[in-house]
Amino acid sequence: MESNSPLSLAELNALVRRSLQTCFPDALWVQAELSDVRANASGHCYLEFVQKDASGNSLAAKARGIIWAGTFARLKPYFERETGQAFVSGIKVLVKVTVGFHELYGYSLTVTDIDPTYTLGDMARRRREILERLKQEGVLTLNKELELPELAQRIAVISSPTAAGYGDFCKQLRDNAFGFVFYPCLFPAVMQGDKVEASVISALDRIYEKLDRWDAVVIIRGGGATSDLSGFDTYDLAVNCAQFPLPIITGIGHERDDTVIDMVAHTRVKTPTAAAEFLVNHTRMTAEKLEGLSQCIYQEVPLRLTREKERLENWLMRIPSKVQMRLQREAFAQERLAKRMETALKARMQAERHRIELWSQRVNAASPEVLLKRGYSITLKDGKAVTDASALRPGDEVETRLAKGSFKSIVKK
Amino acid sequence: MAAKKETYTYSEAMKRLESIVSRIESNELDIDELGTHLKEAQKLIKFCKDKLYKADREIQKMLASETDSDESPTA
Repeated sequence: MESNSPLSLAELNALVRRSLQTCFPDALWVQAELSDVRANASGHCYLEFVQKDASGNSLAAKARGIIWAGTFARLKPYFERETGQAFVSGIKVLVKVTVGFHELYGYSLTVTDIDPTYTLGDMARRRREILERLKQEGVLTLNKELELPELAQRIAVISSPTAAGYGDFCKQLRDNAFGFVFYPCLFPAVMQGDKVEASVISALDRIYEKLDRWDAVVIIRGGGATSDLSGFDTYDLAVNCAQFPLPIITGIGHERDDTVIDMVAHTRVKTPTAAAEFLVNHTRMTAEKLEGLSQCIYQEVPLRLTREKERLENWLMRIPSKVQMRLQREAFAQERLAKRMETALKARMQAERHRIELWSQRVNAASPEVLLKRGYSITLKDGKAVTDASALRPGDEVETRLAKGSFKSIVKK
Repeated sequence: MAAKKETYTYSEAMKRLESIVSRIESNELDIDELGTHLKEAQKLIKFCKDKLYKADREIQKMLASETDSDESPTA
């Protein structure tokens, strides 16, 4: 190669290509952010890899990339299945690339492999950051702190109207084995891609307008083959859900990782069907509680009445014995009284008799016969005792009674 | 007493029911009151069961007017 003879551009570019091939003989792992991802009709994927500067506002590096159709058909579903994240602009990836240079198209990286764990790690970090921010703002657990009403029947459902998951959810509610009534009502929203955030927030706003008409909100998606959950991992959506005044139940349908709204939601289940089961189960517990109370009433009241009846009967049984006891007591008292009366009477009679005897002795002592025996006599005129001599006239006949016999005499003067 | 109140929510009805049950269980009620409370409890139970198992025309109508979708309640 002569140094002073100019090269054609093609020669120079060929030189660059060969130099690069020499410098980078093997494939390399590189971390970058995806940008401007486009798949064309033949299945090749053209994209740009970028690296932002520390401030995150401007680009520090940029490289064109290509994933050939054969590789892309394999890598894209693998990546999306593993991460629950669509292979779209804005995400961080770890890719294995070969460094190439084409005389016409310039520098580019050809992707041969991808490591989803790096993206998962980055997504987890982003989720952690969102959660940390919500926590600092004091709203992280607000929705969890809400109480799902005992009777949660009026369900505002945020879902894509055409999703199989929505049909499953309604069917599961409708066909519940217990015959519970539910009133699900659809608030349609886009549940995939970058419109998720705005669309779900707008559905929440519509529910919020007539808040008292709903008992709970259910956010479900499912039925799609691959998952793109990145739309659910945004701060704005999370903060809306966390602060929503009704309990939110999510059944977003991803097996491995919880999205941010799963983490702030009141209740998180895997699938729409599980969301319906959760509601049915909740209502079943409510119904069981009611059943328990009603059983209590229907058992307790008769029981109480029986107890009361027993109490009465018990009393009834006790009454005769009480009465008998009382009667016995009375009879005894009577008897005692009678005895007391008898002795009292006897004593009294004796005393009386004694008194009479005394009296009779005194009476006897005062009787005329006793006086007559002592030598006194009684003078009678016309059968009446004479106690005053002036009552007698000479010639009156008087009778003188002595202790033994009597005699008559005529008054002289 | 709240017994006369005719428009309660499900939760209120349940609370009232619970209080009746606990009063019956704790023998707080006279036999005379038992009948009145039993009657009230029966009414509350029926109210709650109707809510659980019977579709409410009012709610259905309200929801139908609420959204453009022609979703009908599931029971």
